[in-house]
Amino acid sequence: MAMTDLITALAVVFVTAGVFLLIANQFSLSPIPFYLLAGLVTGTIVAEPQLIELAQWGIAFLVFTFGFRTDFSSVESVLRDAETAAVTQLLVVGPIAFGVAHLVFGFGLENAVYFAIAATLSSTIVGARELEQEIRSNLVHGRLASSVHFFDDLLAIGLIVVLSAEQYTSTLVTSKIGYGVIFLLVALLIYRHGFPLLVRLAGGSDELVMMGSISILIGFIAGAELAGVSIVVGAFAAGIAIRGDDVSALGVQNGIASIRDFFVAIFFVTLGALVSIPSASVLVVALTLAVLVLVANPLVLMLAFVYEGYDARTAFLSSTSLNQISELSLVVAIQALLLGSISETLFDAIILAAAATMILTSVARRYEEPVYRSLIERLVAGRQTRKIDERSAVDDDLEDHIVIVGYGRQGRRVVETCERLGREYVVMDNDPVLWDDVRSECHNYVFGDALSTYPWTKARVSEASLVVSTVDHRPVSEAVLEVETDADVILRSETAAEATALLEQGATYVSVPNVLAGDHLTELVYAIGTNKTDTETLKDDHLDYFDALERHGFASRGRWGDTE
Amino acid sequence: MSEIALAADFAIIIVVATIVGLIARQTGQPTIIAYILTGLILGPVMFDIVTEEGLVESMAELGLGFLLFLLGMKMRFDDIREILRPIINIAVWQTILQTALALAVAWALGFDPTEVVIIALATVFGATPIIVKILTDKDEITALPGKIDVGVLIVQDIYLVIILALLGADELGSASEIATTLGVIAVMMTFIGVFSIASSRYLLPKLFRRIADNKDVFLVVSIAWAFLFIAVSEQFDLSLEVGAFLAGISLAQLPYSKELEDRITPITDFFILVFFASIGLRLAADDLLAYWLEAIVASVVLMVGNFWIMFYLIDREDFSVETSFLGAINMVQVSEFSLVVGALAVQQGYIDTDVLGYLSLMALMTMSVSTYIINYNHTLYARSKPWFSRFESESKTDIDLKSYDDHAIAIGYDEVTQQVLPLLEEEYGDVVIIDRQTDHIEELEEEGRYDYIYGDFRHGEIRKESNLKNASFVLSSTVQLDVNKALLNEVSDDATVFVEAERIDDARELYDRGAAYVIMSTYLTAEKLSEYLEWYISDPASFDEAVERDIERITERARSDPTDRQRRRTGPGGDGDD
Repeated sequence: MAMTDLITALAVVFVTAGVFLLIANQFSLSPIPFYLLAGLVTGTIVAEPQLIELAQWGIAFLVFTFGFRTDFSSVESVLRDAETAAVTQLLVVGPIAFGVAHLVFGFGLENAVYFAIAATLSSTIVGARELEQEIRSNLVHGRLASSVHFFDDLLAIGLIVVLSAEQYTSTLVTSKIGYGVIFLLVALLIYRHGFPLLVRLAGGSDELVMMGSISILIGFIAGAELAGVSIVVGAFAAGIAIRGDDVSALGVQNGIASIRDFFVAIFFVTLGALVSIPSASVLVVALTLAVLVLVANPLVLMLAFVYEGYDARTAFLSSTSLNQISELSLVVAIQALLLGSISETLFDAIILAAAATMILTSVARRYEEPVYRSLIERLVAGRQTRKIDERSAVDDDLEDHIVIVGYGRQGRRVVETCERLGREYVVMDNDPVLWDDVRSECHNYVFGDALSTYPWTKARVSEASLVVSTVDHRPVSEAVLEVETDADVILRSETAAEATALLEQGATYVSVPNVLAGDHLTELVYAIGTNKTDTETLKDDHLDYFDALERHGFASRGRWGDTE
Repeated sequence: MSEIALAADFAIIIVVATIVGLIARQTGQPTIIAYILTGLILGPVMFDIVTEEGLVESMAELGLGFLLFLLGMKMRFDDIREILRPIINIAVWQTILQTALALAVAWALGFDPTEVVIIALATVFGATPIIVKILTDKDEITALPGKIDVGVLIVQDIYLVIILALLGADELGSASEIATTLGVIAVMMTFIGVFSIASSRYLLPKLFRRIADNKDVFLVVSIAWAFLFIAVSEQFDLSLEVGAFLAGISLAQLPYSKELEDRITPITDFFILVFFASIGLRLAADDLLAYWLEAIVASVVLMVGNFWIMFYLIDREDFSVETSFLGAINMVQVSEFSLVVGALAVQQGYIDTDVLGYLSLMALMTMSVSTYIINYNHTLYARSKPWFSRFESESKTDIDLKSYDDHAIAIGYDEVTQQVLPLLEEEYGDVVIIDRQTDHIEELEEEGRYDYIYGDFRHGEIRKESNLKNASFVLSSTVQLDVNKALLNEVSDDATVFVEAERIDDARELYDRGAAYVIMSTYLTAEKLSEYLEWYISDPASFDEAVERDIERITERARSDPTDRQRRRTGPGGDGDD
């Protein structure tokens, strides 16, 4: 069978993308910029009109999956975390970028807005990948950054609604927003009634539920086209419509994710292929954009975080993972290109700057620790000390006390033990969310970051007899071991191997929850196997234990589950 | 807004196919039938609103490519090694005898010679998706009849690829040209085949070992691999299907193939729908019904004939009568591959669309009937057993197949699960470990003590492979609530399930859903830490003693665990998806 041109084009797209991804994988970098680069390389070979149609499916699926992954119950806590910083950044960087584009480069209003969007929003896909470990171990800066990403994504969807108006008269813009709201309402209706019906009718066939979900997506896209709003809005609403918490949703969402990955690869490669050979003016615009994203954004965000009360290190680390162009800005750009409302120069510049910033953000993260130490720390040191003094309360004559790092579930438990036994202690934590708790529940406390030295001085660690760290993060553990004190040190680690290393470095004891859980498990299985107990008893005891924990306030709090 | 509607024809096909599929589901019919019907509804047979051109054609072709890729990926030689010899005997003779039967039937029905040949070539295959799907749903795929059927289907697939390559060639005028073409195809296929096998031995294990942990890269590089083979095949004038199939085979032998299969399946489902619909689209009403009487006659004759051929062949290999009966009755339908072959023959001009209509009608009829037959295969056997008992004899016995039953499954190979594995082995015999990290799998391979499956527990294919439904004990060391919920949903009611959770509310929910015990390492550690602290403050001697004991344990563990795991435990579910 002779291959159609499209198949040939796809072969070029995927083989090139495959090679570039191997490079990305080799250096542990995010795949997206490498898709774009693959596109740049293939260039006009794949300028197949049908490919652009497939790329549109990529957009639809990208937003679709974002829609069904969105956890609306967390919106509130995200706003609490990110509101001030994200809004500040929007209000500061947005206008600057707009001004630069409009006044310096002479772009029209519309193009200047696109430029500003590209400069302001940051990428969830790249960012979440970079911060994977931090988010999982629930460090404060990982949480902050992912909150800002989430905020940016929602903002992007909103902006796309508004930007799909052909003219920016208030009636037209309002009608677009109106349509957006209608879509959301229909989506909620389907979520409540339509999707469960689909699952029931499909009678256990994952394939049918998946095709049904895609049909819902198509229906919403068709609706969006009829109403004259962007397909992105339709796709987002469709994603909300099929959010199932049901277990059957698991297989289906995996299936859709596979199809998405296929189309998304096509989308990004095509996007790269649409860039023509860059002229000098394109490079200048791209460079300006990249500088705004890489420097202005983190700076503004960092100041905002510090203003909110986060310590300098956390603020710095969160803001450095927010310095890349968002994939949704790319969606905005290609939509504008199809509408014919973006200039060729700006489009090329945005794609190039996106590829560059997405790679640089990963590379830069490897140097952020030295940069912080040599630059930021010196700049803010005095101010930090003052802040820590203001926010902490430690008795001047404290001696022979216990320093407890981290006020999560384990930290609270340790505090409780100290209080019960009448032993003096100091709690050290850097999460502003916990401030009120710490202030009202503990006698001595230091608000600071265990990786800096001053908080330790403040905690009078040289006079302490024991330091207990409940933070499972190797750099923190090592910092604790470096603190100058004769006190015994109890640490926490994920693996036995890491624990051994820490013991060699001088820790008195390292608790390894996994080993502990493994031991506990073996005991239980043995006990059940030899009929010493049965699962019914175990379960009842455990449920009683939960109640007891909750009565004493040791249960987890809030969205992040404070794993310490 | 003046943007391209997302390929309206393509979109309409998907929506209508879903609706027809949901209706078909209510009557227990497979989706393939719904998809062909969709084509008939949208095409010239009924409303004539969609044409099979442009994007739809490309999508259909892509669907076929993915189908063959997936098929190749399922060709794990290990799976059928135990019964390889009887299977090859059965498959080869089955192909010969069924081709002969189909040839005779088509000739008797008065088709012209070229048509007779195409029809005979096309109607040999059993419908893999239908058989595999229904048997899997019934939990019979790993039983002996299921294994025999799957084995035969695999051999048939190789035959299919040769036929496709042959039909794809341009010049087939005379016998010598056919022979030359076959020769060329054989050489080319050998060439690519050798490359595929060599790479599966030397290049791919290293390559995929590096990328398998990264979901995006894993998928896209695999697809790139398929497209690479497709492009190479095209250079050799072989069809797209051949390339895709061989690419699949080379990936099939890797330990990661199950996981990949699970990721490629949805993409295949998505595009293959368009392929089947496009077959319907090609047919006009008079095409479909041109040979309706012949189609009915041929369907009946072939279903009966195929049954006896398969029954005779399996029986000849001295399997028990029940196995022969079940193995044979599952395979009576005309497959979707007859449509693949037919569609290609139409394109090359060997047959007209009315013959494709005839093939489609046969496929539609035999597939719908056989769905019910497979579903009630045991009842049918029970009814006809008295008559079939005449074939019983002492010498006929079934081979014992290794399969997991009443076994223990551990999800995630880490410090939580490692320790309890010997105990589980003692209690339950077989222990199967599911993990999605290449370094863990390598460790297990090195140790060689337990069975393991590489893959994400979220994927149905992986759960099936471990025979989760029949496990007696399941231990999950992931704290991901959705994974644990899916687990509890699927295990049998009397299985003991231990899961891990991070939060109290999650733990309560898991108990509600039937967990026997929920491990909560954070609380466990908090408890112990405060106990130690108490000793530290009030009974230093006990503290020292306890710490010493613990440290010994930890260093011992660290030694027994050769790889210093830099990466953190992500659980078998890996990271969500993004």
